[in-house]
Amino acid sequence: MSHHHDLPLNKDITARFVPKIVALMVYLGTLCFVFTLFMIHSSALWENQLTTPLSVEMPTLKTTEANSLPSRVLDLLNQTPGIQHAAVVPQKEMASLFHSLLGEDIDVDLFSLPIIIDVSLNNQEKVNFQRLEAGLKNISPHVHVTDHRGWQIQVSNLFHTSIFIAFFITILILFGALATATFATKTSLLIHGQVIEILSLVGATNSYIAKQFQVHAFKQALIASIIGSSFAFLTFFGLVILLEKAELPFVVHSSFFSQTLWVFGLAPVFMAFAMMLSVRIAVMKVLRS
Amino acid sequence: MSDFIAQLIGLGHQYKGVPEIFKDVTFGIEKGSFHFLTGPSGSGKSSLLKMLYLGLKPTWGSLQLFGEDTLKMQSRLVPLLRQKIGVIFQEFKLLEHLKVVDNVALPLRVRGVDAKQCRKQAQELLEWVGLGESLDVYPPSLSGGQKQRVAIARAVIAQPELLLADEPTGNVDDNMAMKLLYLFEELNKRGTAVIIATHNPRLIERSAHPHLTLTEGTILQLPKCTVLS
Repeated sequence: MSHHHDLPLNKDITARFVPKIVALMVYLGTLCFVFTLFMIHSSALWENQLTTPLSVEMPTLKTTEANSLPSRVLDLLNQTPGIQHAAVVPQKEMASLFHSLLGEDIDVDLFSLPIIIDVSLNNQEKVNFQRLEAGLKNISPHVHVTDHRGWQIQVSNLFHTSIFIAFFITILILFGALATATFATKTSLLIHGQVIEILSLVGATNSYIAKQFQVHAFKQALIASIIGSSFAFLTFFGLVILLEKAELPFVVHSSFFSQTLWVFGLAPVFMAFAMMLSVRIAVMKVLRS
Repeated sequence: MSDFIAQLIGLGHQYKGVPEIFKDVTFGIEKGSFHFLTGPSGSGKSSLLKMLYLGLKPTWGSLQLFGEDTLKMQSRLVPLLRQKIGVIFQEFKLLEHLKVVDNVALPLRVRGVDAKQCRKQAQELLEWVGLGESLDVYPPSLSGGQKQRVAIARAVIAQPELLLADEPTGNVDDNMAMKLLYLFEELNKRGTAVIIATHNPRLIERSAHPHLTLTEGTILQLPKCTVLS
């Protein structure tokens, strides 16, 4: 008698599809949210590693002036307003870059590697790029300066757009699940109209009636969400293993996996509470009207 | 301050497209009073009771219940007023998916009474109406008379201030009818005002309680105690 269901909600034929839809929505929503986190993590990592908005490239020349060329270029760069720091990329680092692109078997000594200078900017002051370019050409016509800021902004925008879209889709999935629960509740209210009328006639408040629906919705959503979230976890785990086996560049740090586990744990609880709340709102709205 | 728990003033009701059921009903229900509501079929007895338990809005007139103007009060107060009223419906209105004992305990449960207490009180009452063996039975397996007794037990379990009964003896034999009348009178002695809408002449004859007779849309002869000053 203590665990009462004054409304026979368990026998609702029309609402039987709801847990399956919720499980599917939680599965998709959780994966989509993890993808959002993955994009946020990747973009933060990438942006942190970006310290080189400008780079200066000069070929290794076999002339007498070639030896003094890097230091002259560095002098000019360090004297240019707006430039915070300029440093030659060590040949070892250049070699490892080539190895990562062309493979470990390549003998980089066979190539005449150019000298690259990484330039970091002082954000407080603007660099006169045309004046800098002219100054460098004045030192040597073979010196070439590249402004990376254009494509960096484009890639950054792409990251942010992807994050926004992924998050937007997560929200859409969440609303889809809540809308399904709301529609099912409204149908349920119609089906149990007579029972609700009797409850109301014996003095049940709207809140008492709504509680029956919300407790039922909470239990249903929690079980369905745990199933959906578990499958999402397995999919995510499988993807990580697959990417690692395929030796594809998994741009995030391996800690991302452990940092993301809370999503799979919290998703069912969040969904259960969200559904309970939306069902309560729907029932109270109908009962008041 | 008046002792009326309900005051009906110029009350009328008309369903769409049909002549009015009653047009000018004015009377009061005193605390702890006992009345029979009689009248020919279709005179509006059930509709009048329905208005008293706030299941039907009057088309005109005013209805005051427990000091609240029911036409002006906030809808959230409706359940609170209903908790003071017990209703025995002609068509029983039992919840078929709940056991008999749970049906009877329903008014206590919605008031937040402890589950053990609910069962204990429901059991006592069901034993009193002769259904002590049917506590865990579901209503569809009961006869009409048994369902009526369950409905009565449900209406009185919370000791309401006002008990409205619509043909409460319609499905029971004379013996049981008298037993039920005795139950209503017992409840009435404890302070519950009782209104019984009935066609049963024997029930009316065997008791000395005043009648309210609905005729031609109004109550012509009012017992003294129901006259509003």
